[in-house]
Amino acid sequence: MQLSSWESVFFWIFGITAIFAGLLTVMARNAVHSALFLISSLVSVAALFVLSGAEFIAGVQILVYVGGVMVLFLFVIMLVNVGAEERGSDEIFNNQRQVTASLIFCFLLVLGILYAVNKGSTVLLKQNQPDAEQLSEQQSQQDGALKKSATGTSRISKDTEAVGNVLYRYASLPFEIASILLLVAIIGSVMLARTLKQEASADDLDPETLREESIHDPELIQLEAAASQE
Amino acid sequence: MVNHLFSAILFFLQESGTEVSTGAFGAMKEGVRHPDLSKFLVIGALLFIIGVAGVLTRRNIIVIFMSIELILNAANLNFIAMSRYLQQTGSANAIAGQIFAVFVIVVAAAEAAIGLGIVIALYRNKETIWVDEIDLLKW
Repeated sequence: MQLSSWESVFFWIFGITAIFAGLLTVMARNAVHSALFLISSLVSVAALFVLSGAEFIAGVQILVYVGGVMVLFLFVIMLVNVGAEERGSDEIFNNQRQVTASLIFCFLLVLGILYAVNKGSTVLLKQNQPDAEQLSEQQSQQDGALKKSATGTSRISKDTEAVGNVLYRYASLPFEIASILLLVAIIGSVMLARTLKQEASADDLDPETLREESIHDPELIQLEAAASQE
Repeated sequence: MVNHLFSAILFFLQESGTEVSTGAFGAMKEGVRHPDLSKFLVIGALLFIIGVAGVLTRRNIIVIFMSIELILNAANLNFIAMSRYLQQTGSANAIAGQIFAVFVIVVAAAEAAIGLGIVIALYRNKETIWVDEIDLLKW
């Protein structure tokens, strides 16, 4: 696959933005800053998806990740108190030994992956590397066959149609399994995040624990009394 | 400037020795002008490694979750790039990579929901989000 003229400019801009935003995600002291850098990294990766012709996935990426998951992250960051690292009084990284070990590991991983990509791309180049001009011509021909939008200035991509077609035709069982997975995740996260009071009022708590905890918490006493009456 | 430097380094790492006809500089220029599959893969690999480094080094459990999202995104980038490559070489089932990416996004969303639920429960019980202080299972 090869990109032509303007596309390659955007490729370098978004690729480098994605990497630097990713680095800043890991390095940022404040967790909220981390989340914001991660959002910019995700948006840049979505732009790379658009460049490689996967408009549907790019849209899903922005809607699900940036609109859903990252908002969830920000909510959780604000629910748990992370004041210490903002003030700079606390160490944000692990021990020196662990950091060194992980950096060495990552460096080896970089070398391995770059070697693998290099090896693979040389084989691909030998195998069938179509000419860049030929490819861009072919691409513009394909684009020319697409339907024009209402204003006539742009073409309507067929990517979403193709993804939907394959998703429902060949991957309908995994699709259903994914929906069950999401249901389980919803139920699981609701169950996990309940407070003791909510657990007690749903009558979902061990009576022993309830008796112990009701000593500290006056609100639990009523629930404990109701439970012991039964 | 940074762009040029970076792309030159990337190009040098990937394709040194593969180009003979136009010379190193011409090949470099050509490679920068026409980014191909391997450059997408390198961007994906670098994002993956940044994510791994984040998981291994950070103490804040929420930032570790964010690094995991970064890793999954790098995998998605590889899937999409491969899918595009196969489309251009005229493979039969080229769109399958995009289907995989959809499922990866679904799993990532589920994982984030569960993980953050665990973080909230943990914070309620132990009052900490530093992973080195969460050592109940340590022998």
